[in-house]
Amino acid sequence: MIPLIALMELGGKHHSIRLWLPLFLVWLLMLPLAVLMLPFALLAMLLARIQPWTALRAFSDVLSGLCGMQLEIQIPGRSVLVHIY
Amino acid sequence: MSQHRRQILDMLASGKINADEAERLISALERDPASANAENATKPQPKYLRVIVDADEEGDGETLTRVNIRVPLLLLRAGVRLTGLIPQEARERVNDAMREQGVAFDMNQLRPENLEELIEQLNDLSVDVDHANGQAKVRVFCE
Repeated sequence: MIPLIALMELGGKHHSIRLWLPLFLVWLLMLPLAVLMLPFALLAMLLARIQPWTALRAFSDVLSGLCGMQLEIQIPGRSVLVHIY
Repeated sequence: MSQHRRQILDMLASGKINADEAERLISALERDPASANAENATKPQPKYLRVIVDADEEGDGETLTRVNIRVPLLLLRAGVRLTGLIPQEARERVNDAMREQGVAFDMNQLRPENLEELIEQLNDLSVDVDHANGQAKVRVFCE
């Protein structure tokens, strides 16, 4: 399953910002662009002698593998948190 | 009848072991596969690679830096599979660059099976790092 929502939190000494990013909207917006770019991508793959089906599968694996990713960094006075759901 | 059970009965028949010893061997034979299967069934498959770093920069316990990273193993597997898409020339260049840095690493040997082996072995790795002012603890494990 592709990631649908990302949470990003930037913390400072006095205040912090929390952002919920609706990734599903990003994918929806990128879909027409991806369709337009597909012939060029296929051409590039043929020139680089990469099997298009293998590349597509690898790309989708990376995309779906992002689900559950978590990154938290805290240093004195600052913090960064990224969760991908 | 299994080969091991037959061997035990042969040993009993030839008088190498007595009836009590044969019974003990057979019961041990019956116990082992069951316990191994039960252990495998209860052991959950790891889903994430976790890296936790706790660093105390000054060594006073106040300037604590914490890093907590959870990477899905699916992403790591996909990453390893992606290396298959890298053209041979580029792989050679990567290998050369790594060799120049003193890392004897061959990208051609990177396969998904190797990652599975690494995950199996990486139950709980803990590394303590001491530096001039403070200390750091690095934990790498699968969960």
